[in-house]
Amino acid sequence: MKRGILVLADLKITIGSEVFQNPIWVASGTFGYGTEAPELVDVNRLGAIVTKSITRKPREGNPPPRIVETPSGMINSIGLANIGVKKYIQDMLPIYENLTTKIIVNIAGTDVQEYVEIMEMMESVSSVIAGYEINISCPNVKKGGMEFGVDCDMTAKLTEKLRILTERLLIMKLSPNVSDIVSIGLSAENAGADAVSAINTVVGMSIDAESGSSNIFTTYGGLSGPAIKPVGLAMVHKLYNKLSIPIIGMGGIVNTDDVVEYMMAGSTAVQVGTANYRDPGIGEDIIDSLDSFINQTNRKSATDLIGSVRTLS
Amino acid sequence: MIIERARIKSNCEVAHNIWEMHYEAPNIADSYLGAGQFINILALDDWSHPLRRPMSIASAEDGCISIIYKIFGDVTKILASQKEGETVELMGPLGNTFSNWDNGTYPVLIGGGVGLAPILNLKKECAAKKVDHTMIIGAKSGNEHFIEHEPEENIYLTTDDGTIGDEGTVMEPLKRIIIENKNTYLFACGPEPMLHAVREFALKNNIPAQLSVESYMGCGFGLCQGCVIQRHNYEIRDDSYHQKYSLICLDGPVYEAGDISFG
Repeated sequence: MKRGILVLADLKITIGSEVFQNPIWVASGTFGYGTEAPELVDVNRLGAIVTKSITRKPREGNPPPRIVETPSGMINSIGLANIGVKKYIQDMLPIYENLTTKIIVNIAGTDVQEYVEIMEMMESVSSVIAGYEINISCPNVKKGGMEFGVDCDMTAKLTEKLRILTERLLIMKLSPNVSDIVSIGLSAENAGADAVSAINTVVGMSIDAESGSSNIFTTYGGLSGPAIKPVGLAMVHKLYNKLSIPIIGMGGIVNTDDVVEYMMAGSTAVQVGTANYRDPGIGEDIIDSLDSFINQTNRKSATDLIGSVRTLS
Repeated sequence: MIIERARIKSNCEVAHNIWEMHYEAPNIADSYLGAGQFINILALDDWSHPLRRPMSIASAEDGCISIIYKIFGDVTKILASQKEGETVELMGPLGNTFSNWDNGTYPVLIGGGVGLAPILNLKKECAAKKVDHTMIIGAKSGNEHFIEHEPEENIYLTTDDGTIGDEGTVMEPLKRIIIENKNTYLFACGPEPMLHAVREFALKNNIPAQLSVESYMGCGFGLCQGCVIQRHNYEIRDDSYHQKYSLICLDGPVYEAGDISFG
């Protein structure tokens, strides 16, 4: 599929010491390792690729059924199926040497030690990766990262431990399945995170009325897609009001209006997730139309959008 | 893999609740490799239903491809409402194909429900290569069949209620055919209970069989990791990747019966 390549507006954004060519990233778990659909997408046009969560050892993931469509969304419970950090270093890092887009490595673990070991292994080799997104909020794994993501002290402790290990970007990915996402975000910020990303999927359930069965093997899964966009916008806006570090917004982004709304709510960058399943080239389309939007609305750059929403009260 | 805006050439109900749709999709038709491959259909351009729907290709010729589908939910109702001349976005061709049906064995083609789509396709391929074969198609009732029961042409129909063809499942004629023919190779597509029965029968009687399995899919090309089936291998461990579970969209949908297990 042929897509445009002309970008005129200033779409660049900065997080920590890294400058990204545009704010359109693809979300972890929705774009594999970035190499799965070469005929349908020029990945070098993306702001960044956040690669699928890696764990210390490879993981097979959950038994089927793992996914189901829901109104304007889908529920997944993949269970962090992944190749493991060793194979990621061996097979994927050399491929990333040849890409010009930035690579953010998503890391998941079941305890602090696992996250630390993975980051130590990643930092022990030379690579072009720009940073790490720390999955402290996967809802689909027993003993998963959720206990970190719902607890301020655990979030702070993990952030501190990882901060010591890397000078690369450290982004903590926040769960919406908490009573107060802002306090978790502040814990990450105070412990040295460069940014937070929000939101991970919302815990959901789907039932087949005819058979009386749950549609997902693990009963509950992570709801994503346009159905969760209002939740994501609200959480990004709350975080923006209290945090000083950049916020990477996500949850149901399928077009440029969604990107603009997420940036107006306070996102510095955004991640396209579920929409990649339908069309892995959708990020490129959004980049082109965001460029038009910036030009047509007489803004100087994409950064003018950040936090610019006019609230009515 | 191609994403192509395809024009609907025809869309009709061919039996009770069973529909056949033809698309003009020259690029996908050109890239098509054989029976077993599927397309992933975007029924609506809006995001009310975010995921595409995988459907087996029932024919691919002259720049056109067809599917056969049964109405059982919102999206298949939408498909049935679509008219000639409208366009929809298709992704494909995806997945692997039935294989080795032309290597001197006697293919027995077995379809159940709308799983007959790739089976009808394989029948055409057998006919084109002049490979002698038998086809058995099962349905719940006679009104779901749209082909004729013609034992003299080696086409056997079965129905659960006996209204057309043999009463019962595809297993009854299959057992007869196996006795009457040597060197058989089974090729099956249909609901899981049928595939399970064919698999058990094939393994017990040491008959080679290929099964085309169906699954919900998030993407159709390996991104989402949503469409898995367990491999039949007792030595696999959980701290591995892609050893215990196979991705149906990339590794399948066609598997040797002995390579996978159901539930």
